[in-house]
Amino acid sequence: MSNPVTIIMIEDDEGHARLIERNIRRSGVNNEIIPFTNGTAALDYLFGADGSGLDHKGRALLILLDLNLPDTSGIDILRRVKDNDHLKCTPVVVLTTTDDAHEIKRCYELGCNVYITKPVNYESFANAIRQLGLFFSVIQVPQANA
Amino acid sequence: MTVERARERALVQIALLTVAFAVLVAVSIASVYWLAKAREDSAWVAHTLEVENQISLAQLQMRRAESAERGFLLTRQPEFTTDYEEAAAQIMPLLTLLRSLVQDNASQSAAIAEIIALTESRLDQFRRVMTLASQSKQDEANAIIRGGAGRETMNKIRDLAAEMRQEEHRLFLLRTAAADRSQSLASIVTTTGSGLVLVLAGVSIFLVRRSARARDDAEAQLRDNNVNLETTVDERTADLREANEEIQRFAYIVSHDLRSPLVNIMGFTSELEELRTDIFRRIATLSRAASPQALDASLDDQGQPLLDEADRQLSQDFTEALAFIKSSIAKMDRLISAILNLTREGRREFQPVPIDTRELIENIVSTMAHQAAEAAAEIRIEPLPEIVSDRLALEQIFSNLIDNALKYLKPGVPGDITVRGRQRLGFAIFEIADNGRGIDPKDHQRIFDLFRRAGTQDKPGQGIGLAHVRALVRRLGGTMSVASELGKGSTFTITLPTKWTATKPETRA
Repeated sequence: MSNPVTIIMIEDDEGHARLIERNIRRSGVNNEIIPFTNGTAALDYLFGADGSGLDHKGRALLILLDLNLPDTSGIDILRRVKDNDHLKCTPVVVLTTTDDAHEIKRCYELGCNVYITKPVNYESFANAIRQLGLFFSVIQVPQANA
Repeated sequence: MTVERARERALVQIALLTVAFAVLVAVSIASVYWLAKAREDSAWVAHTLEVENQISLAQLQMRRAESAERGFLLTRQPEFTTDYEEAAAQIMPLLTLLRSLVQDNASQSAAIAEIIALTESRLDQFRRVMTLASQSKQDEANAIIRGGAGRETMNKIRDLAAEMRQEEHRLFLLRTAAADRSQSLASIVTTTGSGLVLVLAGVSIFLVRRSARARDDAEAQLRDNNVNLETTVDERTADLREANEEIQRFAYIVSHDLRSPLVNIMGFTSELEELRTDIFRRIATLSRAASPQALDASLDDQGQPLLDEADRQLSQDFTEALAFIKSSIAKMDRLISAILNLTREGRREFQPVPIDTRELIENIVSTMAHQAAEAAAEIRIEPLPEIVSDRLALEQIFSNLIDNALKYLKPGVPGDITVRGRQRLGFAIFEIADNGRGIDPKDHQRIFDLFRRAGTQDKPGQGIGLAHVRALVRRLGGTMSVASELGKGSTFTITLPTKWTATKPETRA
């Protein structure tokens, strides 16, 4: 990635987080990955203390989001990110176990950029994450605007 | 009220009506009888009067004849002869009539016989006097009259007539009394009978009205009960639906959440597998370093480092353990997917549409032609009733059942699968019969349970098909059952409402 893009990984399952990180690294992506295991901490980080999201002005972010979180729903985080003036351009990759058609549709309607179902089969899982890593290495991410 | 009481009441009512009817009949018969009796008695009274009348008439004619005779003797005028002849001619017919009238009474009959005899002799005297008088033998005629025989006879006749009249008078009194009694009896019977009938009719009307009121009450109660029942059923149905939805949600969430840890288990198992190669390479290197007399570092066919016997055993055990873990995970994943699919199916809204069942099944059969050909099976479709139901659900039901029939045929026996249908009382009954290996009766319930299967486990499957089919049939308002014996084929029977309407009043929570 040309820009120093920070990957925000919101994933409550630490095992999943570890597997995702490992496989992203294996695809040769060395960007900073900041992991969060719950929605509240992630929202605090994204929107800052004042809740405006101004903190990340000028930074390039990419959000990797799980929908099933213990405290808040991933959908809710997605909606708030896409509603925020500063964060709405940030690409959001939904990576979750749900393959329910309603859920997928809803996420895209809310502005999610990519929706990936976690396959249980590890070959497929590792493969999907590596592909995603390759995808990360080529896409252009806008900077959070003022 | 209890059933027994109601029955008792009905019996009493019937008994009352029967009694009333019997009384009515009895009263009618009695009235008719007594009226007839009264009429008869009156006839007898009239008869008595007539007899008396006849006696008087006969006596009158006798007197007339006597006076005509006397008149003729005194005056010799021929008018008296005519008078006499007229009177004498009427006497005998009157007496004969009288005899016939009183022939039922022995004493009167005897009296009349005597009277007739006396009258004849008296008439004979008259004739003799009249003949003598007409021959102008006045003295002889006077002598006969003076002889007094005529008067004596007349007195006898008069006495006898008086006796007869007396007798008739006695009879008259008796008969009048009898007629009076009959008449008053008839009127009493009629009056009492009418009264009784009126009373019974009143009682009956009262009873009928009471039972009508009881029936109305019962009807009202029944209506209330029905309404209550409907409300209760609605409530229960709502509860059940809620419970069912709860279970669905639960199953969905559970199966969903089970997936996350499974991803980890699978992932790290795979990671371990990766590590295995590295670990055993290191073991090989280390053991070689520890024993310098060992062979130089060489690789086997698969590019794995060569290990000594004990280490190779370890490596194999490691691989085996990992293989078991992975196959179990794969199985668990399939089960979870199956539950997810089932719950997803349970959440799908059904759309009732008219379905040509035969066409639908023909389509299913054509997609299974390959399997059927492999199993050397023939699928026959008999005429089927058309129904209104959910198309996709019906497709799943029939394709599952036909697929099962094809799957569990007897090896070496050409399959014969029949799909039959008929209609009864608003329900369509479908039967899928095969000549396959059959199902042990003790497993008939089990096969409908999720993840449960019966018989030899030589075919792939999760034990989901029939559970799914039964869930669908139930959601379509139907029932299903199986009839089967080991080695004798199976028949699955599905009963579905001919016209299914999606009766889901409110949307899911």
